[in-house]
Amino acid sequence: MNLSKILKNGFLILVACLVLTACATKKSTETLGQLQGDVYTGSDTVKELASGVPDRVFFATNETVLTTASRETLRKQATWLRKNSDINVVLEGHADERGTREYNLALGERRANSAKDYLMTYGISSERISVLSYGKEKPVDSGSNPLAWSKNRRSVTVKAN
Amino acid sequence: MNRSVTISFGLHTLLFIVTAMSLPFLAKKPIDLPPIISVELIQITDKTNIPFAPKAKKIIEKVKEKEKKLVSEQAPPKKIKKQKPDAVPLPDEKIEKIKKIKDKKQNPKKVETEIKQISEFEQKELFDSNNIAALIDKSKVESAETNKKLDKVTQNQDKDMDFAGLTLSEEDALKAQIFGCWSIPLGLPFNEDLLVRIKLQLKPDGSIIRSEVLDHARMNKPGQKFYKVLAESALRAIKLCQPLRVPSTGYERWKNMQLNFDAREMLEG
Amino acid sequence: MQEKCWKDKMLFRYLFILLILLPIKVFALIEVDITRGNLNPLPVAVSPLSIDKNSKSNFKKILNKENLGSEISIIVENNLKQSGLFNPLNKDAFLQEPDIANLKPRFEDWNLIKAQALVTGKVTFVDEKLRVEFRLWDVLAGKEMMALAFTTVPNNWRRVGHIITDKVYERLTGEKGYFDTRIIYISEEGPKTNRIKKLAIMDQDGFNNKFLTLGNELVLTPRFSPTNQMVTYLSYFKNLPRVYLLDIETGMQEVVGDFPGMTFAPRFSPDGKKIIMSFAKDGNSDIYTMDLENRIVERISNHPSIDTSPSYSPDGKHITFNSDRSGYQQIYVMSSSGKNVKRISFGSGLYGTPVWSPRGDLIAFTKLHKGKFYIGVMRTDGTGERLLTENFYQEAPSWSPNGRVLIFYRETKTNKKGEGFSAKLWSIDLTGYNEKMVVTETDASDPSWSSLLSN
Repeated sequence: MNLSKILKNGFLILVACLVLTACATKKSTETLGQLQGDVYTGSDTVKELASGVPDRVFFATNETVLTTASRETLRKQATWLRKNSDINVVLEGHADERGTREYNLALGERRANSAKDYLMTYGISSERISVLSYGKEKPVDSGSNPLAWSKNRRSVTVKAN
Repeated sequence: MNRSVTISFGLHTLLFIVTAMSLPFLAKKPIDLPPIISVELIQITDKTNIPFAPKAKKIIEKVKEKEKKLVSEQAPPKKIKKQKPDAVPLPDEKIEKIKKIKDKKQNPKKVETEIKQISEFEQKELFDSNNIAALIDKSKVESAETNKKLDKVTQNQDKDMDFAGLTLSEEDALKAQIFGCWSIPLGLPFNEDLLVRIKLQLKPDGSIIRSEVLDHARMNKPGQKFYKVLAESALRAIKLCQPLRVPSTGYERWKNMQLNFDAREMLEG
Repeated sequence: MQEKCWKDKMLFRYLFILLILLPIKVFALIEVDITRGNLNPLPVAVSPLSIDKNSKSNFKKILNKENLGSEISIIVENNLKQSGLFNPLNKDAFLQEPDIANLKPRFEDWNLIKAQALVTGKVTFVDEKLRVEFRLWDVLAGKEMMALAFTTVPNNWRRVGHIITDKVYERLTGEKGYFDTRIIYISEEGPKTNRIKKLAIMDQDGFNNKFLTLGNELVLTPRFSPTNQMVTYLSYFKNLPRVYLLDIETGMQEVVGDFPGMTFAPRFSPDGKKIIMSFAKDGNSDIYTMDLENRIVERISNHPSIDTSPSYSPDGKHITFNSDRSGYQQIYVMSSSGKNVKRISFGSGLYGTPVWSPRGDLIAFTKLHKGKFYIGVMRTDGTGERLLTENFYQEAPSWSPNGRVLIFYRETKTNKKGEGFSAKLWSIDLTGYNEKMVVTETDASDPSWSSLLSN
């Protein structure tokens, strides 16, 4: 292989790499702080039940499993509920728009129940927690993009009284 | 942060070196493409137009057995003549008639030695067992006399009378014409037997003297609604396409034609 | 002597006959296979129905329609055109007057404008009722194909047009029509994050639209009963999502059963006597039925997975449903008692909303694969999967009563600001042709097709 050829190749590859890396960095900074895998980890749309107690947990696409972050949030909610033993809550389960309507109703119900089960392991009586699924009917972000969808895949704890 | 940058840089450099060694340089001369030859795909059917050789064998055998009854079989021509052309034959009737006609046609073979007016063309025809075998022409006798006259006109013009069907291009021309006229009713169930066979009697200019759906009785059977609809669409197609794109010569060949409308290919796709 | 003479005569007779026969070239019957045709819509001329002066003025008084005969023929024309199978010809080219055409059409005139079929008829006001007679003619063959007459109340005049279309359609295609039908759907308005949804019903051609709920509570997935009198749907009345029954005529609503949790995805059984639905409790959704007469509830599926979107086969013996027991949404078939559960969807992607065709031969579904939504059909054993249409978002097919056309809904993408959202009803022929939007006043989703209103 002669030198000129290697140099030519080298130049091409360099240019290609630069282009690629340039694109890559842009993407990562945008979602780095907000998505972990498929699960929303940001704070936009998150309200507080009380100071330091987020009112919602998020899920991956088609999943009803709680992430570590979700469990942490629910622990905080459980603590707060123990302190305020006269408050009852409704767990509202939601899904994103990228699924069929009826299945999403069932998925929302399952997500809310995941959260409910976890709260119960921390001693909250099931009589204080009711579950309501909205499926994909009440998105919090009307965008048609992965970030918006991730914000909509949620279980929200709402004060019932 | 720094660690990841260093690692990234290191990996990129490694990749750089590896590909620089092995990547062939891109700006090569273009390959000489062979000249583009346009190929026209013509649909050639599996069967040729020489009718039903296997059937012919069976029929010839049957006919040989009946040769002894020749004398009594002389009467049939007259009988058939009396029958009205518009009568819709029941399947059983048809078979009987076919047998009679076949038997009748054995006569030329036998008597041929006595009559010497036959031209060489006709002689060939008569010996062609295929032609004699695949016979379904009821109306032949009615037009017997007109045929005789026409023969005198045409027999010199048709040199290639060995091939008794339409040539590939003639058939294609006719098919293409009818494809344009036949509006297939969509949504017919394609797992049913939806083959409509229509026999036609044509004038030299391609217009239709008579058309007849072979399975006519089926059209009015309960539960055969789809067949009726398909048959009607085929009849409309034929009427719409008049005059049919028939060959300009060889009227004798194609004046009686059968069109088999088969919607399965269209409906399956 | 005589005998010999006779023999000679016979011989000559035979020879003579043979002479005649001999020169005849024995040609094989040429057979040409026609295996292709066109899929052009059939040109049909729909002549305005003839109407006498007296009837005309009577109908004008009652219905406020200038020329009822003309109005009815317009309905027939539009229906035939919408089906994609017919091409109604321009009336301006018609040469014969309606009343004469109905008695004895001059086929050459109709042939001239390339009509292959002709619809003519007559409308009369008789005994306070509307009487219609119509004929269908085969222009090319020059003969009458069909002649029917019937009587109804004047207010049903639009249905008269639909019924005529059904008969003409059936005679020309061999299949039952689907024009004298209604569609129930969810009317939607407002921003995506706060949609106002109402139950709405309309004729299949978009006319006579009526709202059945006010929009105060969320309503979803309405379905017709086979008798068309009742509708079942999901309502969030008092924030409790439950399956309800609504009587279209009386407007009466009632909750179906007394379930301690969300019930959803309801449908009727083919005999109209049961409601089949999903019941969700503690994170698990299973399929249940409730008999509408004796109120007995029966559990059909019992599995920790999500089981939903149940749909009966037309003979009531099987149920197709959606389950994620394999890990992802797939389509299953089981007996109506819940036994012999068999998975039938095996392609790549997620499958949902299975719905059994009224013809019994196919199951329509929604498929999600690589970010795109598809409406498709497959045979009831899962073979022969065919995708009919692809889109950014579409789902929930519903069959026309003749199992020939599918209606579904489609949503559009929103822009970066979340604007531009719309939902519309669309329909497509089973063969994949004639995909078109169904016009509704507002945005619409969750359509369900009734069975034929007339018997």
